[in-house]
Amino acid sequence: MSGQSFRLVSGGLVDRDRALNFSFDGKPYRGFAGDTLASALLANGVRLVGRSFKYHRPRGVLSAGPEEPNALVELRSGARREPNTRATVTELFDGLDAASQNRWPSLVFDLLSLNGLVSPALVAGFYYKTFMWPAAFWEKLYEPLIRRAAGLGRAAGLEDPDHYEKAFAFCDLLVIGGGPAGLAAALAAGRSGARVILCDEDFCLGGRLLAEKREIDGKPAAEWLAATLAELENLPEVRIMSRTTVFGLYDHGIYGAVERVGDHLPEPAPHQPRQRGWRIHARRAILAAGALERPIVFPGNDVPGVMLAGAARTYVNRYGVLPGRETVLFTAGDDGWATARDIAAAGGKVAAIVDARGEADPARKALADKLGARLFAGGVIEGTRGGRQLDGVTIRDASGATMALACDLLAVSNGWNPTLHLTSHQNGKAVWDEALQCFVPGTLPAGLAVAGSAAGHFTLGQALEDGARLGGEAAAEAGLKPAAAGPVPMTDPEATALQPIWRVKGAKGKAFVDYQNDVTDKDVELAAREGFRPVEHLKRYTTLGMATDQGKTSNLSGLAIMAEQTGKTIPQTGTTTFRPPYTPVAIGALAGHHRGKEFRPVRLAPTHDWSKEQGAVFVEAGQWLRAQYYPKPGENDWLTTVNREVQAVRAGVGLCDVSTLGKIDIQGADAAEFLERVYINGWKALPVGKARYGLMLREDGFVMDDGTTSRLGDSHFLMTTTTANAGKVMQHLEFCHQVLWPELDIRMVSVSEQWAQVAVAGPRARETLRAVVDPAHDISNEAFPYLAARAVTVGGGIPARLFRISFSGELAYELAVAADHGDAMMRALMRAGQPFGITPYGTEALGVMRIEKGHVAGNELNGQTTPRDLGLGKMMSAKKDYLGRLMAGRQALIEKDRPSFVGFRPVDPTQRLRAGAHFIGIGKADIMENDEGYMTSVAYSPHLNHWMGLGLIKGGAARIGERVRAYDPVRNGDIVVEICSPVFVDPEGARLHG
Amino acid sequence: MAEIATVSTAVSWAPRGAWAGIAQPGSFGATGGAGVLATLLDGFGLATLIAAPGAAPALSRIVEARLGIALPQAPKIASGQAHDAIWAGPDQWLLRAASRDGFAGLLAELAPHGAVSDQSDARAAVRLSGPRVRDLLAKGVMLDLHPAAFAVGDVALTSIAHVGVQIWRLADGPDGSVFEILVPRSMAGSFWAWFTASAAEFGCAVTAAPVAGPR
Repeated sequence: MSGQSFRLVSGGLVDRDRALNFSFDGKPYRGFAGDTLASALLANGVRLVGRSFKYHRPRGVLSAGPEEPNALVELRSGARREPNTRATVTELFDGLDAASQNRWPSLVFDLLSLNGLVSPALVAGFYYKTFMWPAAFWEKLYEPLIRRAAGLGRAAGLEDPDHYEKAFAFCDLLVIGGGPAGLAAALAAGRSGARVILCDEDFCLGGRLLAEKREIDGKPAAEWLAATLAELENLPEVRIMSRTTVFGLYDHGIYGAVERVGDHLPEPAPHQPRQRGWRIHARRAILAAGALERPIVFPGNDVPGVMLAGAARTYVNRYGVLPGRETVLFTAGDDGWATARDIAAAGGKVAAIVDARGEADPARKALADKLGARLFAGGVIEGTRGGRQLDGVTIRDASGATMALACDLLAVSNGWNPTLHLTSHQNGKAVWDEALQCFVPGTLPAGLAVAGSAAGHFTLGQALEDGARLGGEAAAEAGLKPAAAGPVPMTDPEATALQPIWRVKGAKGKAFVDYQNDVTDKDVELAAREGFRPVEHLKRYTTLGMATDQGKTSNLSGLAIMAEQTGKTIPQTGTTTFRPPYTPVAIGALAGHHRGKEFRPVRLAPTHDWSKEQGAVFVEAGQWLRAQYYPKPGENDWLTTVNREVQAVRAGVGLCDVSTLGKIDIQGADAAEFLERVYINGWKALPVGKARYGLMLREDGFVMDDGTTSRLGDSHFLMTTTTANAGKVMQHLEFCHQVLWPELDIRMVSVSEQWAQVAVAGPRARETLRAVVDPAHDISNEAFPYLAARAVTVGGGIPARLFRISFSGELAYELAVAADHGDAMMRALMRAGQPFGITPYGTEALGVMRIEKGHVAGNELNGQTTPRDLGLGKMMSAKKDYLGRLMAGRQALIEKDRPSFVGFRPVDPTQRLRAGAHFIGIGKADIMENDEGYMTSVAYSPHLNHWMGLGLIKGGAARIGERVRAYDPVRNGDIVVEICSPVFVDPEGARLHG
Repeated sequence: MAEIATVSTAVSWAPRGAWAGIAQPGSFGATGGAGVLATLLDGFGLATLIAAPGAAPALSRIVEARLGIALPQAPKIASGQAHDAIWAGPDQWLLRAASRDGFAGLLAELAPHGAVSDQSDARAAVRLSGPRVRDLLAKGVMLDLHPAAFAVGDVALTSIAHVGVQIWRLADGPDGSVFEILVPRSMAGSFWAWFTASAAEFGCAVTAAPVAGPR
């Protein structure tokens, strides 16, 4: 166990009483509760944490926040392995198992670091230049090679074992960021009773207050922080959500956020999700997300040990970790000096302060003297030494003289960029502030205000003032009386003067602009030379600003160097339009509960459990699960089962659930008129107590859906639709009524869920039903003929509906009862049909029998067929108008050789037919010009003992008896079939009327 | 064809409610006090009521005379002794009776003035309460259910986990807000899968309300 040799003996917000064990690349270490993985690694003296993307250069921790481009690790193992996790925001837990990525065989000896030696070939645009020839090599050779060499972490490749959730929240004010500005805002609004949600991505609230040694009202800032949090927690309408990143701003004041409920645990607590994706509806929002510090581009700026100065301060003050024993500060402004001060105060040695600005003022000189640091005013760092760890730097002083200085930490300070990302999610453009030398929020989305550093107001005093003012405004906006606003707290003085330097020129070596993508200043120059100057081209050509960090530390340097190359200013060169998400979001948090079987709701018929009991295999039909077939023990393939089911129905009786069909109750004086208009056939003459097959068209004249509709009363009909189209037909009918014919006196409601319905089919169907339908109801052939549809009772007075309709061509009925009785109905029918060998059958047998009878179904009602195409032209009434009539009569749709509906049988009866096969004349070439149509449905008929098919072919029924090729190149099928009648079984329909 | 002698069917026609095989009384999730209480409702009567053009006042008069409640003209629920009238759209309502036979002759009396359709078996219904009920519902309901935004008696047609639902708020109980939710029967299983996954962290006690009257 290595000791925490870089941990300060005291100080920081870690809990030294709670040691946590963790491992990195298999080696055990120890940290404290309150650490991040990065702070714990630094405490243990681990500097090298990753290898860079392209050149495999050693990399260390650059930052202490979400912007981290280097310290990306894999967390956990097995199914929970998670790549590209930023060590700087990974909360340490006991047993954490982390590994470096993008190295082989190990982090210390990475063979692919040889890439650095061939780096001239790997400059910007190298993909496009190097791997161009031969073209065929790209997919098979080049791309896989590049992907292996230039990778990030590895996905687990296993199913994620954790649960994720989605949730919705509403508030008067959403505060994004729990630093001083955000806390002040939440307090001001919360005190007046507003519903406030305060989100912070960190596990501790306080933002930079946690990282700085500051005073508020003359006391340590921690006291103000504690008092503020305590007050907020006591306000009932204030909700504080830590570990929650607001990642996107969407229309209408909707914000996306991800709450990391269980990321800080080895695995989520029992019954808790791993993460929760939030959709937050906010009347107003305040962006108080702070700012991100900017690095400086100079040769060797990526050696582990080069760190942002603000991050170095975070490690010292918040985590009690000295990130180096011998520090050099390279700063372009006042802010960096605070790092030197805090490191020295913590007992670290500051060897030198290199302030790129000219002559230092006496106060700074005095401070340097006090810290014992050599001061290089007007100097720069022009190089670093060290491979896997920083050994020293080369300083060029104001006179141009260079000297080497040993150090193991180079803190770099170049000012801060407001974290304004969310302000541009609705296409808002950031604007350049010449005085502040950074982009600040431009036009703001409706309802959003920006406070503190995120607005470019970098002092603590400004943050507190902004927050208090904007929080109060938000409360007033919500109609609340603002609470008496106390004075804005006083803060200790701070200096923020800055003269940023975008790069150190005139020095040799790789100077990185974008650490994560290994983009150097030379790559930006190359892009400029080769004409990729607009900022969007610069990004695509060099990959600057891509990948998981989205250029949080690199975009501005890249712009600045391009500006310098093209002689423009930074704002003339362009800016970045940030898009959601602000930081990476796991897909699981967006999917929530909806994955696997819960991807979307499944609909189950009231007879489902009974079918399950019968051993049914289910198939998805729209959202429904329907019984596909009911295998019996010993039946090893579905065809055996289906053949048995078909034969049982045709020889005796079978039953099949049809509860899933859409059922629409239509009532009103104009109900019959309404049907006349939506169906192609006539309805007014349909007597009460009768059912009729109907076909409806879309407005463009193609068939939309079919089904039987029964007249239950003079002004009361029950329409059935196909299972798949039930919702669509309901929508269509509502449209017809509400938009086309609002004057019709009708009312519609779906009753699909109310009824359990079963088809009872076969020559013994009536005998079976006789034992279930109460004796008072005469269901003899005479009293209850084909297409009768009437209310009956079953089981001694239970209301039911009986329809004599048939899809199988057999004597058949559909019996419907209220859903609660569906299960009992199946059992009663099974008992009643037992003497006749009653057999449950599924959608497969249903399909076989309808093909044997030449009935059209979904395969034929495919949105490309008209009634004429399907041989149903005779149904198109000439006595009335109906939806789609004119459009169905368009010239192309009534052409004589338009493919129309017929049957097909293989000339060699042993051959199998395939749906989808195209018809070509015998002896003709298999080219598009010779295509005559295609097979829509096929099935094996146990009645005929061979395959049969339905399809659409030019000329249709006029060609019965002709032979054509059924050509199926996808499955190597090419057989001769004979065109025949689509009705294969009982063409006279005798069985139907039996 | 002559009538065939009936075969005796000694099968029970006992009804099987919408929650059968899906949810049953008991508890699940975190232990140590239930944050969410679910009461499975069954055996109620339910009918959709759609007014004929201009007939809404007539319908309302009949309902008021028979049940003592007026049909709400906004997304609200009006509750009487053993009945509720629940807004379901412009000129559309759900009528609920405490028992299956609880409508007596009412539906027939209403029928001339609109379309009345029995939906007693078409919905699975559950009453949800408990100290964490709003935290639970926040995981599925995309509406603001804060007491100030969704008052007692408010009704909404919305969705939970892609399942279309009707939800309303009843008078507060000992643990605060009480909601009832109607779910399409065929999707009760998917709804319950969402519910159990979402309520588990709060701990949940499930009970079945006694069925009132014959079904």
